[in-house]
Amino acid sequence: MKILIIEDEEGLRESIEAYFQEAGNICETADSYHVAMAKINLYRYDCILLDITLPGGSGIEILKTLKKNNNKDGILIISAKNSLDDKLEGLDLGADDYLVKPFHLSELKARVSAITRRKMYDGNNILQFNEISIDLSAKTVTVLNVPIKFTRKEFALLIYFIANKGKVVSKNAIAEHLWGDGIDLADNFDFIYSHIKNIRKKLIEAGANDYIQAAYGMGYKFNDK
Amino acid sequence: MKLLDKYNRVNLIAAIIIMLITGGIYYLAISSILINEKDKALEVEEQEIFDYVKLNHKLPQVFESPDQQISFKQVPKNSITRQFINTTYYKKYNEPESGRGLISFIDMGHAYYKILIVESKVETEYLIQIIFGITIGVILLLLLALVITNRLILNRLWQPFYNILGELKLFHVSGTRNIPQLDSSVDEFNELHQEVSAMTTRVKQEYQNLKSFTENASHELLTPIAIINSKLDTLIQTENLSEGQSKLLTDLYGAVNRLTRLNQSMLLLVKVENRLLKDEHLVNLKALTEEMIIQFEEIFQSKNLNISYNLDEKQVYANRYLMEILLSNLLSNAIRHNYNGGEIRVTLTNECLMIENTGDEFPLKQDQIFTRFHKSSHSEGSGLGLTISKQICENFNLSLDYNFKQPYHQFSIGY
Repeated sequence: MKILIIEDEEGLRESIEAYFQEAGNICETADSYHVAMAKINLYRYDCILLDITLPGGSGIEILKTLKKNNNKDGILIISAKNSLDDKLEGLDLGADDYLVKPFHLSELKARVSAITRRKMYDGNNILQFNEISIDLSAKTVTVLNVPIKFTRKEFALLIYFIANKGKVVSKNAIAEHLWGDGIDLADNFDFIYSHIKNIRKKLIEAGANDYIQAAYGMGYKFNDK
Repeated sequence: MKLLDKYNRVNLIAAIIIMLITGGIYYLAISSILINEKDKALEVEEQEIFDYVKLNHKLPQVFESPDQQISFKQVPKNSITRQFINTTYYKKYNEPESGRGLISFIDMGHAYYKILIVESKVETEYLIQIIFGITIGVILLLLLALVITNRLILNRLWQPFYNILGELKLFHVSGTRNIPQLDSSVDEFNELHQEVSAMTTRVKQEYQNLKSFTENASHELLTPIAIINSKLDTLIQTENLSEGQSKLLTDLYGAVNRLTRLNQSMLLLVKVENRLLKDEHLVNLKALTEEMIIQFEEIFQSKNLNISYNLDEKQVYANRYLMEILLSNLLSNAIRHNYNGGEIRVTLTNECLMIENTGDEFPLKQDQIFTRFHKSSHSEGSGLGLTISKQICENFNLSLDYNFKQPYHQFSIGY
């Protein structure tokens, strides 16, 4: 997967780049409006991560140019501006998704995966991971052609893991992904543990490998072994 | 007491006192003039008697006249002093009337007589009564006119003042309403209006500055937080972290998380207060509440909270995103301030949406819970949740009230 990261904040840009590169993606970066414009006019990407406030111009202008040129690149806006108006403006202009800073890299990865999946497998919504097959539109999971009953949250969690396979995903990130803003009330994340336990049990009982590992007590890792 | 009433009271009391005094003086003056007249008539009569006696050397014949009685009586010499008296006038077949009399004497050499001339005062008193009555009537009329004109004129005169007062009552530092132009010819009111307008503009300006500072500061904080968060995400990918290190990382995640939430809450509050989130439409409260309850399911379970709900169909005109936050905040509070194995009840009726929870045995302080950064001692929240909730309710003309009904803390949204 080829990704363009348009982000002027060096620390953040590096982290994103490292996170995607390790998973085997090709990353290019742009730290200003002009660099970004030059790149999008020259090359095509599977997904563009677009910051709105950039030195030299607005990310919205880049978005408009992309749409004007009728490029099929997936676009994910990353911005500290979380007002609904910005959100709607971005999406109305044709962005595929919108992620508010600060975010977890695993969340970013999951969103990018969703966008590229939609772009690449147009109409075909089957996500295949070894012996696990997930129908994204019907929201069903089958292992070796045996359908497994997953709850809505278990389903979301499984997709999240697969998008971040090989990465340690923190409990915080999982909690935020599944429960959104309400999650800061939880004194502990025990209920995540029970979800994970259920997913593992269901997958193993259906004959799949045990992919989920606990990582140093602060998160989980979905291993492709 | 209203200015008008106070003014009227003082005015009326003063007017009544002055009128009573002048009335008394008036009465005394008129009656003394009339009595004087009477006395002169009596003196004329006395003189006539004297003239008669001087001419004829005998007493005149006493005859009954309609309003005058004269009587003579022989008395010891020099026993009489001449004087005017108030006495009674007897008339045949009639009630006695009050009368004015003159006691005099005549010395005829061989005999000494007391003369008593009495005239009825009925006519005089009648006159006084009429005059007094008319005067009282005029006075009352004057007072009435005074009250009415006062009321009318003062009301109109003070109208600009009441207008300004009304505007001040509606004034809200975060509102968009400005004090409208004043149309008055009274300098004092114009000055007052000018000062009030200037003051409200200044206050609003300062408040806006403060808010934009909050917004800018929060925005600026987001980028470093985003970097910290992403670096932590990168760090946990490192193999071979020790247990101690991972504990540190978990704590760091927690702290960054709280920082993020605080920031988001401040930004949201600024936005809600400035009414920047427009997009209003009918929101199905029942569906939304059910959604939120499902969202919190695991958290209820993890705290062993027993949730029961009874939801009727209800729609309100509002912003869906904000209503979500409102419900989420109230439910979060109900969870956060509950104890293990406690209870939460949600009731949606046509009048209100009520969220009740068990928790502390004491009621919360009504006047403090909706203020910024007010937290109970063991709360993990930002202290902005209820302030945001209150503000959201205000935006959509909903009410948000707190009640304590043993053992339930009740928060109700009224529409």
